[in-house]
Amino acid sequence: MPKYDAVVIGAGNGGLAAACRLAKAGKKTLLIEQHNLPGGVASSFRRGRFEFETALHELCEFGSAENPGNCRKTVVDEFGLDINWYQVPDNFRVITVASDGKTPIDATLPSGRENFINKMEEYVPGCRESVTKFFDLGAETLEAGNYLTASGGKPDSNVMKEKYPNYLRTAAYPVNRVFKALKMPPLAQDIMNTYWGYLGVDADHLSFVQYVNMVCLYVNHGAWIPEKTSNELTTGLAERFREMGGTMWLNCRAEEILFDDHDRLCGVRTTSGVVDTRWVLCNASPTMVYANMIPERLIPYKDKKLLPNRPFSARMFVVYMGLNKSAEELGMHDYSYFLPSSADSVKEYESLKSIETDKFNIALCYNVVNPKASPEGTCIVSLTTTYTSDCWSRVDPKDYIRTKEKVASGMIDWFEEKTGIVIRPYIEEIEIATPWTFCHYASVPEGAAYGYELRDWDSMMPRMMMMREEYPIKGLKFVGASSIRGDGFNSAIFSGDTMAKLMIGEMREEGM
Amino acid sequence: MALHVKVGLIGALDMLKFKNLAKTRREAIEALPERPLPKTFETNEKAAFMHPKQQQVRIKAMRPNGPDAVTVTLQSLDGNALAPFRAGQYISISVDADNSTTTRSYSLCGSPARSWEGEYDITVKRVEDDGFVSKFIQDKWKPGVVIGISAPQGHLYYEPLRDEKKVLALAGGSGITPFMGMAYAILYGYEDFDLTILYGSRKEEDILYRQELDAVAASCPKVHVVHVLSDEKKKGFEHGFLSAELIKKYAAGEPYTIFMCGPQAMYNFLDGVVAELGLDRKHVRRELFGMIKDPWNQPGYPKGAQAQSFIAKVTIHDKTYTIPVSSSESLLTAFDRAGLRTPSRCRSGECGWCRSRLISGDVFIPEITDGRREADKEFGYIHPCSTFPLSDVVVEVPGQYQHL
Repeated sequence: MPKYDAVVIGAGNGGLAAACRLAKAGKKTLLIEQHNLPGGVASSFRRGRFEFETALHELCEFGSAENPGNCRKTVVDEFGLDINWYQVPDNFRVITVASDGKTPIDATLPSGRENFINKMEEYVPGCRESVTKFFDLGAETLEAGNYLTASGGKPDSNVMKEKYPNYLRTAAYPVNRVFKALKMPPLAQDIMNTYWGYLGVDADHLSFVQYVNMVCLYVNHGAWIPEKTSNELTTGLAERFREMGGTMWLNCRAEEILFDDHDRLCGVRTTSGVVDTRWVLCNASPTMVYANMIPERLIPYKDKKLLPNRPFSARMFVVYMGLNKSAEELGMHDYSYFLPSSADSVKEYESLKSIETDKFNIALCYNVVNPKASPEGTCIVSLTTTYTSDCWSRVDPKDYIRTKEKVASGMIDWFEEKTGIVIRPYIEEIEIATPWTFCHYASVPEGAAYGYELRDWDSMMPRMMMMREEYPIKGLKFVGASSIRGDGFNSAIFSGDTMAKLMIGEMREEGM
Repeated sequence: MALHVKVGLIGALDMLKFKNLAKTRREAIEALPERPLPKTFETNEKAAFMHPKQQQVRIKAMRPNGPDAVTVTLQSLDGNALAPFRAGQYISISVDADNSTTTRSYSLCGSPARSWEGEYDITVKRVEDDGFVSKFIQDKWKPGVVIGISAPQGHLYYEPLRDEKKVLALAGGSGITPFMGMAYAILYGYEDFDLTILYGSRKEEDILYRQELDAVAASCPKVHVVHVLSDEKKKGFEHGFLSAELIKKYAAGEPYTIFMCGPQAMYNFLDGVVAELGLDRKHVRRELFGMIKDPWNQPGYPKGAQAQSFIAKVTIHDKTYTIPVSSSESLLTAFDRAGLRTPSRCRSGECGWCRSRLISGDVFIPEITDGRREADKEFGYIHPCSTFPLSDVVVEVPGQYQHL
């Protein structure tokens, strides 16, 4: 029977980061993935002469070699991934209607703190002070976050009070409450709220700390994409893992986590046989793993309460299009267009609960940033929306094709109407991914690639603070979007790296 | 000025709130009702129904359908629906014989309604150049035999967001099968477009599906069938090849999309026709090219490299096999011959299901069937179905959990 120090189940961003960390620490590690290539949702697929990015809009927390974010430090500096990256020049363009229901918004926000603040002042005269405070608060929050991580979730409260008092005072509040406290003008709040969809929870229920963190990371470090889609990141990480001594089994499914007579984890049963190990890192949904892969008596008491009641986050719907015109010919000059029906995230969150009312649409054109994204004279445009309820569970399989075609068609119309850019006649290739598609390829519950909703008490901070007690079964930890920091490539990589480090510490305690 | 932000009236209370975030979460969890964990979700169940990992079917009936062709009806074991498909899609089947194993793709040639009745129809024409498969199927398959098949695959289907309302289908030989499915789909209201099938055969007697095709065309105003005979001139038939003139004649001045399905020689011929017509790629869609059987005729194949024997070391998880390979045959063919049951589906370089890692060795990959992802090229991945060894090779192949 093959024997490994550790087995990582699932080769998504979190699993890959965990596997690399374990291998780098000299642990004999097996990474298994049920699909025939690594990446989970972080991948690509080909149709005709196009190769489509499956999921990545903008990699956060990455930065340049001179001004690296934590994510770059991990995957490039530590794991040695050497691939080409492009920086996205602007953070986003948002076209919508303000919360007042009438003021039109069309704002393009550049990356870089000063640029961003100047542009905000241009759009909303008088907002400079509050937006500047937002970024100051963000800077303090990032430092506090780094300190909290370095302290392993056990910070010195005197240090916290002295160095991060504003952070401490705002950390328990949702975005909208803090915006009000900053006396930010309502129109500026609307624009500053644009990124909420990336975390899947409206600004009344989204933790301010998590939000300010993400916005500042995007603005400070810019947003980045790999030249050859996410597959270059994930297949690249898989290669680095192997070069560091790791073993990867693709097209192999973990079926059961095995425990010995003392209920100590002792192996994994896979479709390629039983593997002997005492340490497992799971890049799969804890709900699915607890319900299907471990004996019921071992399900932690907390999770019997938490998991059946814990709502899943954004369920994905993406229209991938290869167009037979270049971005310039189409008049598409921006990389990402946020096109919600309203800047009021609370209203918008409600409307995303049903297929009929969902209008939210994020459009991307990869060629604006990456000239090699598709052949000359063509471009790739993707339209993404998310659902805040499991509404796709109610679609009859007999109506599936019709439903997805109708939604996609509506999204194309919406995009053309809001931006004035015509794309429909130029569709050479099109593929539509629904929540069902995400269930199929990534085995995520309800097609929710974002894991559990980062709502109120279940947001990043309290999850991080409970990091050590979160997974009480000895030898078993979870990484990825369902883990401590929620969704986002950078957060999944962070969780994989962090959980692997914790596991390495526990292995050391056992004399490994 | 130093930053001072507070949300509540008393900042110190907010600090306490921060300290208590974990406690608050603990208490919130404690207050939740204990319930059994869901083992699955409706959305996931429906996704699994649409995209099953594999399907088991029983052969229900086999009937002759034109020269050397047999239409096989496959039936679900429990009578329940099979995975739905879009007209034009195919299934892959797995065939084992004499220690060898292989897969082949066959278009689903019935109406999409058939899957809901728990049945699929495929048509298998006996051909000499497909290894042993069509012969094996016609000789060894009998009603009652149970086989494993894939979920429906493939991208040759009508897409209203992309294609023109008028489709000209260019079919050669058994390449008629996906269009048979489309014709039924239109007849039964599953699809809404205007389908004109230009069906090329040598002689009238070579036409497959003659009666069925003509019957559908007669009862559905949106389906038209034009028989084109290359080797004989007959009244009521077009004569010659599927030419630009013929296509223009039946397009009748309307915008149209071309779908094509047939042998490789037909695709090569039609490349010239499409160029002559000045069609852009958006308006031309082709079924799988099929595995290349004459790599030495492909641009870039080294001179004199033909028919050399080499050794491949193939690792599948914790097992390694040493097998003979030839520079004239794809690696996948060699895997099949050795009975390795590696994953494969389209066998045309396109779908990526057989994606494997080339650890060492030189190989030839014909450009026309190089469907690899860009980063995969960078990191040394290959699709064995369109890869020909030019030296001894070491390859790591995915596992057998999903063969088809």
